[in-house]
Amino acid sequence: EDSVFSGLEDSGSDSEEEEEEEGGGGGGGREEGAGLPVETAGDAFCEVLCAVQDIRNTVGNVPMEWYRDFPHLGYDLDGRKIYKPIRSQDELDHFLDKMENPDYWRTVHDKQTGSDITLSEEQVALVRRLQSGRFGDVDFNEYQPTVEYFSRDVMLHPVTNRPADKRSFIPSLIEKEKVSKLVHAIKMGWIKPRRVEDDSRGRYYDLWASEDSSILARHKMHLPAPKIPLPGHQESYNPPPEFLFNEEERALWEQQDAADRKLPFVPRKFSSLRSVPAFPRFVHERFERCLDLYLCPRQRKMRVNVDPEDLIPKLPKPRDLQPFPTTQSLVYRGHSGLIRSISVSPTGQWLASGSDDGSVRFWEVCSSRCLKTVQVGGAVRRPVCLTHLSAVHQVAWHAKGDYLASVMPDHSSHLQVLIHQVSRRRSQNPFRRNKGLVQRVSFHPLRPYFFVATQRSVRIYNLLKQEMTKKLQANAKWISSMAVHPGGDHVICGSYDCRLSWFDLDLSTKPYRMLRHHKKAVRGVAYHRFYPLFASASDDGSVIVCHGTVYNDLLQNPLIVPVKVLRGHAVSQDLGVLDVTFHPSQPWVFSSGADATIRLYT
Amino acid sequence: MSQLQARFFTENKRYAVDDVPFSIPAASEVQDLSHVINTLLQAKNESHKQVEFDFLVRGQFLRTSLSSHMETEGISTEEVVEIEYVERIAAPEPEECMMHDDWISSVDADTEWILTGSYDKTARIWSTEGKAVMTVAGHKDVVKDVAWVKRDGLTSLLLTASLDQTVLLWEWNSERNKVKARHCCRGHTGSVDTIATDPTGSKFCSGSWDKMLKIWSAVPTEEADEVEEPPDRPRKKQKTEQLGLTRTPLMTLSGHSEAVSSVLWCDSEEVCSASWDHTIRIWDTESGTMKTTLTGSKVFNCISYSPLCRRLASGSTDRHIRLWDPRTKDGSLVLLSLTSHTGWVTAVKWAPSHEHQLVSGSLDNLVKLWDTRSCKAPLYDLAAHEDKVFCVDWTESGLMLSGGADNKLYTYRYSACQTDAGA
Repeated sequence: EDSVFSGLEDSGSDSEEEEEEEGGGGGGGREEGAGLPVETAGDAFCEVLCAVQDIRNTVGNVPMEWYRDFPHLGYDLDGRKIYKPIRSQDELDHFLDKMENPDYWRTVHDKQTGSDITLSEEQVALVRRLQSGRFGDVDFNEYQPTVEYFSRDVMLHPVTNRPADKRSFIPSLIEKEKVSKLVHAIKMGWIKPRRVEDDSRGRYYDLWASEDSSILARHKMHLPAPKIPLPGHQESYNPPPEFLFNEEERALWEQQDAADRKLPFVPRKFSSLRSVPAFPRFVHERFERCLDLYLCPRQRKMRVNVDPEDLIPKLPKPRDLQPFPTTQSLVYRGHSGLIRSISVSPTGQWLASGSDDGSVRFWEVCSSRCLKTVQVGGAVRRPVCLTHLSAVHQVAWHAKGDYLASVMPDHSSHLQVLIHQVSRRRSQNPFRRNKGLVQRVSFHPLRPYFFVATQRSVRIYNLLKQEMTKKLQANAKWISSMAVHPGGDHVICGSYDCRLSWFDLDLSTKPYRMLRHHKKAVRGVAYHRFYPLFASASDDGSVIVCHGTVYNDLLQNPLIVPVKVLRGHAVSQDLGVLDVTFHPSQPWVFSSGADATIRLYT
Repeated sequence: MSQLQARFFTENKRYAVDDVPFSIPAASEVQDLSHVINTLLQAKNESHKQVEFDFLVRGQFLRTSLSSHMETEGISTEEVVEIEYVERIAAPEPEECMMHDDWISSVDADTEWILTGSYDKTARIWSTEGKAVMTVAGHKDVVKDVAWVKRDGLTSLLLTASLDQTVLLWEWNSERNKVKARHCCRGHTGSVDTIATDPTGSKFCSGSWDKMLKIWSAVPTEEADEVEEPPDRPRKKQKTEQLGLTRTPLMTLSGHSEAVSSVLWCDSEEVCSASWDHTIRIWDTESGTMKTTLTGSKVFNCISYSPLCRRLASGSTDRHIRLWDPRTKDGSLVLLSLTSHTGWVTAVKWAPSHEHQLVSGSLDNLVKLWDTRSCKAPLYDLAAHEDKVFCVDWTESGLMLSGGADNKLYTYRYSACQTDAGA
């Protein structure tokens, strides 16, 4: 029985012989290790060649992994086993071989025989040619000049020299027969000539021919493409140096998002136009341009050319609306606390003021002299409307002077409003239920109506019928003050959200006009008794006087023109002007403020 | 530098120069012209002393350079310019300061005594030297106006009007220094703001917040007038303590629709009243009818009449002083308006001896001396007061007085010796 290893030894020596042969004496040391005498090398050459020729594996292209567990690799032509060569090389040997063997790079492993083959020069050259996609044959010229056998040039001699047929000279009988058959069929009426299309309203017609031209014009949606801005100095191939980026600018440009960049590219400088490369982002940019055009909104913007001057409402000049108060004339000093409310006597000679210092003072209007001071608690007998914040919040007098209404702000109670009759010393409570926090009450100057301003709305009650006639929605968060026009048909309401609303009772329950001239909460509003004036006081320290003409003609809306902003009060603790009232006969306005002064503007 | 032909003239014979045209530079101002006149006078008269002059070109005071003045006035520079010159009015010199206990509402002065009404419900009599002589107390409320009526030797009659709706007629003996309330004039239903005695001293007129004017007799008698009490008046009210004998008005003039702020007598038969209803009305006291109405646009605080120039000056709440001619029936009623104050004009008074000068007091703490020939700016601003000025007055003896809310009554000495005053 043959030893497995002996056979292997043989084949190993064979392969080493081959190696030596092709490598040109590269592995001399190994020969000796194989134990063969040098002298026999020449004799063995022919046999080896033959053996090399013979060693041909007959297994075909079965995967060689199948022989992994066997000592042989396959079978030669004679049916004998081809044994695997002895692989004594470990990793270190392999590495040393790699390092030391100059022919290592041309050594390939033949899986069919299990031997290492060192390729010859010609083989290496062949491999290289094949790798570079050339023909394996060195001598083969793939670019040989073509021989044109057929060309466009008319040759002297024909390609074929057959003479022309006879039938090319005489008319065809078959064709004649066919034509005569057709003619006969037409004559007999069997074939009809092609019908001429009646195109008066043919297959294709203008669907929109009868359409109105104006509609068509509207459908014509030609939108000129937005223009590309002209290139600037940055786009130049040789821009001035100030357009080139320095380090910071470049770093910034790179940091920025593409959409945020001021320039979509970095300006570059070239010595000549010849050295400018193709624009690398050309396709990208063209695509973006197309995208822009595609996504551009196809909505035609209808521009109306209106002179902005025409949009301003035609208001009369303030000069034509005189008289109205313009300048501060007198300052009434004496109170030590903020002055909540002021009131002028009907004669216009006296002014009463209620303050947080717990006193009511009476002033002579024309000299700003305080003539009387009453500490709250004492009886005050004056034909004036007094308002002071103690237990009683507000007192409103009827125009005839016999009735007065008082307000006590109390969320829970229905006894917020009381109406007192002075002559009989009787009080009555007009409301059975609580309708919200009552801010202000007022009598109608002429008719038996009673106005109650709650937090969000103004209710108007008919005192004779004892029912609510109207409810005005102020559109404000918190009404602070209310005044009724002396004619009785108009009401103004100031609110803590800086608004002043004018109600026309004949028009609607919504405000006819909202005035937002104040910067801060409106604290007080007042009408003049007969001049067409009203004023509003605000926490921003100003009093705004407006002209408000009310026409007898019901069709004509009231004319409201702000005419003057009166300043003078100092703002303290976020409180500015707290109350405002007009002189009964002159176009003068009094205002009381948180700075403990009353000011008269004339 | 252009030259102008100018001829100087004056009505004061002392300073007259030759009536020949001079060529003077167009840019010359008051100082230059004054120097020219002084040089001319010195050349004529060795003993002439330097005098400051003011110059008038066609009745207007020269305040800028001559050329710009003529340009604004539209005077041709081709002709000979007639320039009048007068001795410059010296600035009033403050003399005395009389302290009161409270605000001074009114002042009336004659050549000897000064009468002031105050907010401490009294009237005071002072000598012109500033010595407190007498305190007249009796009103129950603020004294709004005071007036002298007549002086017979040592006894004088004086009037005080008050917020307590009465006017009191007092008799004051300056030797014994005793004051006695002679009559209590009842009838007004509002505070009496203004009183004026007629030139003869036999009647006086009062204006009140109740919109009425009432004319009373100013002659003290020994018997009280019967007062028609309204029947529904409580009986108790009648027993109130009262000074002097009750007097009722001779005549009531009603027509104003607002409070009467100021009254005065134009002559012995004419009363002029200014009111808050924007009108000045002139009444005939014989028939008790209204003669003329002058309508303004603002509340009138005060009026003053000068018999010298027959003009009415009014101070109103729009800070202007306006001059009116009460006799014109048509055309523009306002002859001139003097604008310089920045507050209500509360007092205005014509000079007793000068037809062009007036003084005004205002709520802007200033007293201003005006000359109607220079309407753009006042002659002098007297900024002595620290608070509102309520009253001003002149005396013929050369005193100007002003009182106000700083409790002080100031007197100023002005050069009354206007020998060239025109008149």
